[in-house]
Amino acid sequence: MDELLPFLISGLGVGAVYAMSGVGLVVLYRSSGVLNFAFGALGAIGAYVAWSLLEHDWPQALAWAAAVLTSVLLSLAYGRWLAPKLAPRDPTIRSIGTLGFALVVLGFTEWTWGEQPRRLVLPTDSLAFEFALAGGDVRLTYTRALGLLLALLMMAAVALLLSRTRVGLKMRALANDRDLSALLGIRVLQVDTVAWLLSGAFAGVCGLLLANIVRLQATLLTFLVIPAFAAAIVGRLRSLPATVAGGIVIGVLEAMAIKMPGFAPFRTATPFLIALAMILMARGNERPA
Amino acid sequence: MSANWIAGAAVRVDADDLAQVQPALAGVSRQAWRSFALMVGTVLLIGLVLPWFSNAYWIKTLTSALALSVAAAGVAVLYGQLGLVSLCQYALLGAGGWAALRVSHGLAWPFELCVLVGGVTSCAIGMLAGLPALRMKGLYLALVTMMMAGGFQVVINVFGFPDGGAGWLGKVQGSERLLMVRPAVAPSDAAYLRYVAVWLAAVLALIELHRRTRAGRSWALIRRGDAAAIAAGVNILRYQTWAFGLAGFCAGVGGALLAGAVGQLDGRAFAASESVMMFALTVVGGVTHWAGALIAGLLLRAVPALLTDFGVNGYLAMIFFGAALLHALITAPSGVAGQLVGALAALRARLNRARHSAP
Repeated sequence: MDELLPFLISGLGVGAVYAMSGVGLVVLYRSSGVLNFAFGALGAIGAYVAWSLLEHDWPQALAWAAAVLTSVLLSLAYGRWLAPKLAPRDPTIRSIGTLGFALVVLGFTEWTWGEQPRRLVLPTDSLAFEFALAGGDVRLTYTRALGLLLALLMMAAVALLLSRTRVGLKMRALANDRDLSALLGIRVLQVDTVAWLLSGAFAGVCGLLLANIVRLQATLLTFLVIPAFAAAIVGRLRSLPATVAGGIVIGVLEAMAIKMPGFAPFRTATPFLIALAMILMARGNERPA
Repeated sequence: MSANWIAGAAVRVDADDLAQVQPALAGVSRQAWRSFALMVGTVLLIGLVLPWFSNAYWIKTLTSALALSVAAAGVAVLYGQLGLVSLCQYALLGAGGWAALRVSHGLAWPFELCVLVGGVTSCAIGMLAGLPALRMKGLYLALVTMMMAGGFQVVINVFGFPDGGAGWLGKVQGSERLLMVRPAVAPSDAAYLRYVAVWLAAVLALIELHRRTRAGRSWALIRRGDAAAIAAGVNILRYQTWAFGLAGFCAGVGGALLAGAVGQLDGRAFAASESVMMFALTVVGGVTHWAGALIAGLLLRAVPALLTDFGVNGYLAMIFFGAALLHALITAPSGVAGQLVGALAALRARLNRARHSAP
């Protein structure tokens, strides 16, 4: 067990980001019925903005804020301008629409910043919690710890928002039945705006963390949304706690799979295997007649 | 016309009207066969003409483009006929390519058989992938297939494609990688381009025959909803799985043809994002008309090559593709092909009018 612990701890960092991405995806899906394929692309462009600002010696906090702001603004732009044009269509088409947006954002990012991979260095990298164990010392950098903490905090905040506030109630109403909610006088666009804003903020934070933990490369970050979908699938695109748990479990299992003989080269397939198993086992996804 | 005949049984049917129905039906049928022949003829003509106008580089590029068109035709069947989103077509293409390379190197079967083996393998995998779709909403199917594409990316990265080595995986260790043997009738690059065009015409014809017979009618009903399909006596399990199988077959044939074009395939080229791009560009090309698949293949391979020729950054094409996908989803559901067909029809109408009004 001791020799697995370092992998468990490093997996926690990635798992936290999967969890956070999952929550960002689920929040939007629950209120507006859109599964955001552009989530990764939005995070990537935010991270690039932060990288550029840091190159120009901006203060760290401002650069991070600018990154999240970029993601939020782009997310809002799509949510208010393009998403309503697809609103009457079924969820599949609405989700595929974000794929087009993802390609636009990804193309723009790669075109502007070029494709050589970079790494976004955060000041929290140099500090770490040290654990002395029988199997050797383990370092958990502050960045990863911060990611884990942020994931839990943001999940809790979103859960509170959904269960306790007026806007959360409206979001849940929209999730149940969009047309009926509109008939009851809920301002659909207003609620949508909140959902896209939240989702964009999650994308921005996840982009920053992934650009640090993995690397800063737009195509890679854009398609890291695929394992993040796995976390959302574990939560059945609905439950926030299950999504968070799913994300963290996926991250940890993926990291620990290094130690599994024969499976190590395939370990990046872990999210997909878990997601497939969840989909095949889940009940209640039956399509309407 | 026979309006009263259609309106209901209460109206007495005129003998004259009935007599008009038969020729009208025959006319429709003739028209259908004409457009069928036009499709096969156009694809064959394209294959015949292209090598004359292309240099060695473009012949290679267009060969891959046509091979990918075969696979894109499968995406179009699922999305255009049944409204199902499948995001693993490029992975299926890889699986078909793997099987074809394996039998080509391992058993030295003739090329045509290798292509069929690739097609049948992906057909079987496609059917399996389609089974969850029987009890799932559309979005979940997209997710299932996306997860499959993600898994395939990892597996093929580790295993790689057979290149003449020993063992079950057929990987060469140490020595040089072998190339897949080209078909006996098409040893040169130019001949191979024509050969791929013949396969494309054959696959498009196969799909078109499906669309015009019982399968196509069943698909249309399934698309309307399970209730409609069951009420009409359609066997949903059989016809939906059939559609997935057909789409898989297209992917497998495309993969085998691609393997034959280059001689080998690279495991790193089969990322999940490729399947996503293939779906996106098939929708942009158009899923309701056969030309859509052709356009999708060109968008996937020829357009990026063209931009490189002009020294334009390839990522600008991606911005354009994304915008085109949104445009296709929002305002042009039949894609570029649909718009071209519409423009041609408008042109023909204008010419006809001009001819009739001329003295």
